[in-house]
Amino acid sequence: MGSVYALLGIGFSLSWGVMKVINISHAAFGLIAAFLAYTLLQAWGLDPILSIAVSVPLLFFAACFIYRFLITPITQAKEVIVSSMILTFGIAIILENLMLLIWSPDPRVLTTSYTSKVIIVGPFYFQYPRLAGFLMASMGVGIIQFFLKLTYTGKAVRAAWQQPDAAQLYGVNLKRISMITFGLAVASAGAGGVCMAYLYSFEPHTHSLWLIYLFLVVIVGGVGNVLGAASAGLIIGVITGLSLAFLPYQWVNLLTFGLLMIILILRPQGLFQSEV
Amino acid sequence: MIQNVIKKALLLTLAICVALIIAHPAYAEDKPIVIGGSLPLTGKFAETAKWIEKGMKFWADEVNAKGGILGRKVEFIIYDDESDAKKAVTFAEKAITVDKVDLLFGGYPGTAARAVMPVAEKHKYVYVSMGGHMKSFQQGYTYSFGGPPLMGEWWYEGFFQYMKAMPADQRPKRAAVYTMNNPIGASASSTLAGWLQKLGIEMVINEKYNLPLPDATPLIVKSKQMNTDILFSNGFFADGVMTLRAAKALDYRPKVIVQAIGSVIPAWVKELGKDGDYIFSGTALHNKLNYPGNDKLNAYIKKKFGLPGYPVYFGFGYAWMQTLSQGVEGAKSLDQTKIRDWLKSNTVNNIAGPMSFDEKGLPAPINFCTQIINGQVELIWPKEVRTAEPVYPRPAWK
Repeated sequence: MGSVYALLGIGFSLSWGVMKVINISHAAFGLIAAFLAYTLLQAWGLDPILSIAVSVPLLFFAACFIYRFLITPITQAKEVIVSSMILTFGIAIILENLMLLIWSPDPRVLTTSYTSKVIIVGPFYFQYPRLAGFLMASMGVGIIQFFLKLTYTGKAVRAAWQQPDAAQLYGVNLKRISMITFGLAVASAGAGGVCMAYLYSFEPHTHSLWLIYLFLVVIVGGVGNVLGAASAGLIIGVITGLSLAFLPYQWVNLLTFGLLMIILILRPQGLFQSEV
Repeated sequence: MIQNVIKKALLLTLAICVALIIAHPAYAEDKPIVIGGSLPLTGKFAETAKWIEKGMKFWADEVNAKGGILGRKVEFIIYDDESDAKKAVTFAEKAITVDKVDLLFGGYPGTAARAVMPVAEKHKYVYVSMGGHMKSFQQGYTYSFGGPPLMGEWWYEGFFQYMKAMPADQRPKRAAVYTMNNPIGASASSTLAGWLQKLGIEMVINEKYNLPLPDATPLIVKSKQMNTDILFSNGFFADGVMTLRAAKALDYRPKVIVQAIGSVIPAWVKELGKDGDYIFSGTALHNKLNYPGNDKLNAYIKKKFGLPGYPVYFGFGYAWMQTLSQGVEGAKSLDQTKIRDWLKSNTVNNIAGPMSFDEKGLPAPINFCTQIINGQVELIWPKEVRTAEPVYPRPAWK
């Protein structure tokens, strides 16, 4: 559960940290990938994991297009964060209505041949969908980390965030890098959305619920920090799991969001050092 | 001089003609009766609200084809409150004070209906809706009616009556109760303790959870460890699905699974398929009830949407409009107080059956026990309306 929150949250954290764009529509893009996975599963029996091969590139190019024509103009604004929130809130509304139009407001559930399978190890139960979500999320986090640390473009992304002027002097095309970062961030939301759909039912409005967890992951993990977001996701997942196991169930959300408040008070910059 | 007199005479004649046209009853009769309010057409309650809207619009088409109410056609002003009860209040105020609608239609869900009830009372508008469970009808409102209501407190009455009729040694013995921590969950679970005690079923787990439920596995593990043989899942669709899936994954096999609200929407059967079978629940109306109008609605739904019978919320939308329109026709007026008084002193016949309203605006307690069998929501109790033999105990998971 935590790793899935992490995968969904990494892209959100990246676009916030690198471009100062708080993408309110991030979860809505993830939800589109979930609906695509559902449609491909229903129509052709395609496993949701494989549907990522379709949704991730699709979302990447859609996000590059949106960045080029919608986000770029607002990066010139005095208050990029506020402007981006307003703009992407509008995009989220459009996407939600688009999903309502295409898929109707009916709630959906991803049901595969392994949905109800479980692995029992001693006193521990591992449901297949949760394991699949965990593995996909771990891979996603690994791929993004690999990209940022070991590829030229990834290094350029980090440079653009840490020292934008110096990066430009070294020939980094800031606009192009920002567009790629935004595309990657949204594409990772696609993978995260499919993982979320393994765990929970979803309908076109669900993205506003997912958004709460995105903020939670980023605030706990630190803005722009991939490993921080991954760790935050795991921490939140573990706290939720342990609370469910040992405390009255109605305390779980209280505990999770109480933790957020404590972190905000003690470490407003997040638990981890803010660096890509 | 003469020209001036002629001019004034012409103007006076014109003014009299205009006044006569406006004052003529036929002019008013040509205007449609406007019925206003809001529904959550987007947001988390959109799926069910869209069915309510379809039910209301089907009713309007039907009424208009027959010449309307009081000889006037009807039309709706439907605002989208985005699943926000505060916006439902704003739109109710707007419909009454700005649009000056002739009638107010009932809202959904219970939180919105409960919030709109005092607005209707303040402006003295008749408000026929599902209500916001029993507490909302205990506030002394005189213009609100549950026609039919969706009462959490009555939700399991039919199921427990069915259990009561069963020999005591065949009943489940140990109950696990999980309830979403909100007014709907609280209403649905309010009668559980009393009924379980009466039936000799021990309530070994009674837990609340806040929405969204992050994971249902621990709930099922606990139910299994405590050897419970009846599970009450008092939740919506999302948490209901998670609970059921966890039960299957962990091969938890109680004799009965009872689910509150989530299992009554068509998506339950569509999305869960065979896994969604054998769930017990309740309802205030049902497409297989032998009351006038149900066959016609079922035929329409089958033709238009390919469903075997109308979904329950389609029925609610239609039934609330039936109740309101019978009040108008009975009172022979759009005067809200006359409509209210007629509804309080007469019997209404809608697709949920005949209803007479008490001083709270409620009919006599109605509830039917349902079970999903082979993807169909079947009536189980009362026995005289039974449409299929109940499956008890619940078979093993497939």
